[in-house]
Amino acid sequence: MTRLFDSVIEHLRQDLFRMGGRAEAILEKSLRAVWERAPELADEVAGDDLEIDRLDVAIDEGVLKALALQAPVAEDLREVLAIKMIATDLERVGDLARNVAKIARRMSAQTPRFPLPATLTTLSRATQSSLRRSLDAFSRVDPELARAVMDEDDGIDAQQDEVVETMIRELSSRPGNASQQVDIILLAKHLERVADHATNIAEDVILVAEARNVKHAAKLARATRPA
Amino acid sequence: MATAQLAEVKREERSLAEEAQAPDTGRARMRAKGVDVYYGDTHAVQNVSLDIYEDEVTALIGPSGCGKSTLLRCFNRMNDTIPSCRVEGEITLDGMDIHGDQMDVVQLRARVGMVFQKPNPFPKSVYDNVAYGPRIHGLASSRSEFDAIVEASLARAGLWEEVKDRLSEPGTSLSGGQQQRLCIARAIAVDPEVILMDEPCSALDPIATARIEELIYELRGRYAIAIVTHNMQQAARVSQRTAFFHLGTLVESGPTDEIFTNPREARTSDYITGRYG
Repeated sequence: MTRLFDSVIEHLRQDLFRMGGRAEAILEKSLRAVWERAPELADEVAGDDLEIDRLDVAIDEGVLKALALQAPVAEDLREVLAIKMIATDLERVGDLARNVAKIARRMSAQTPRFPLPATLTTLSRATQSSLRRSLDAFSRVDPELARAVMDEDDGIDAQQDEVVETMIRELSSRPGNASQQVDIILLAKHLERVADHATNIAEDVILVAEARNVKHAAKLARATRPA
Repeated sequence: MATAQLAEVKREERSLAEEAQAPDTGRARMRAKGVDVYYGDTHAVQNVSLDIYEDEVTALIGPSGCGKSTLLRCFNRMNDTIPSCRVEGEITLDGMDIHGDQMDVVQLRARVGMVFQKPNPFPKSVYDNVAYGPRIHGLASSRSEFDAIVEASLARAGLWEEVKDRLSEPGTSLSGGQQQRLCIARAIAVDPEVILMDEPCSALDPIATARIEELIYELRGRYAIAIVTHNMQQAARVSQRTAFFHLGTLVESGPTDEIFTNPREARTSDYITGRYG
């Protein structure tokens, strides 16, 4: 039997898949603008982000209507809540891509070009992979893949620290490139934040699949453990 | 000016103002304009104007005694059977006054079908329950024509697969939910334009209720449907338009998603959020 709710949730899912695809694409474009020092690509990012914002508003409205009109329960309720939370994370990814694009514009105007460190390339690939896999985990409702994404977050934090430490050393030894070196530190910070949003998405997948809230689980467990 | 003329002028002014505010999103199949209903001295429905749109489900909600069922029964003149009941104002079906001389009440009830709170199949077979209406209205003559109407009506009511091998069994032998779908099939069989439903799920368990709700949602593309319900979530789930009644007056009507997310009137908000009612 087809349920009334099935068409409602399917509509929300499709909007979220579209939003996820746009978020991945905008991040990719902003990073290409950095690596290729292409200000024209960076200029396109702001327009692309507007589409993500439109989808965010549409999902907000759809979630409000789904809750008010369908009163979902159990896994239906968890999925509606997850869709709302994931949309918020994807909207933030769009904002971070705009920040990356701003850095791309600034860096493309700077000469001589300071070479991008290999650690930044590693960080950017890991972050993009994390975002893609978190969205795959949602579309397949795959808690194992979601856990794998969550497990990668500490490694991504460490990669960010490595970029920052490298640039601090460079700032001392080659202070003439300070502007680009600070921008590289900011890039690392933005990428690490994207990975945090991917982790949030993975946590939402576990909420949907297993009805378990794993947010801040390790931190909260440490805080409640007897000394 | 005579009192009756004054009342007429006032009524026209009110209906013009209401028309100006009315959303223009669909075609009204039925239209109630300035309707008052009295049971003896009791003024049960007070100057209500409401449209029932084609291809939509309109839910009538409100606390007990608010006049919603009374108004619903006006749409196919079921209140004519209550001696103390008096209906004033205009109700039209496709622009035609349902109280006019041109309107045959038997034809009206075929065009505006009704499904009641408790399933009420006739004491006949499943087949004859559905074939009864087409027979008295002369909609079919041969056995094959009746067979086709019975099958199509039961299929549209989502019941064919469950009863196709039990057509000769009494309608009352079916489960409560099946009986209610049989009553819907019976209403459909005479090819109505409008279906009125008066709390059609209140005697059913949650599974049978969900099945009927799915059916109502599916049928909206073919008929104009008006449903009275005490179950607010049911109104929210199945309807596209909601009208909230209180103490015999229509407090607010509009798209269901607006009524349930941002009602204009405090009384509507208090009722749907469970603060009173």
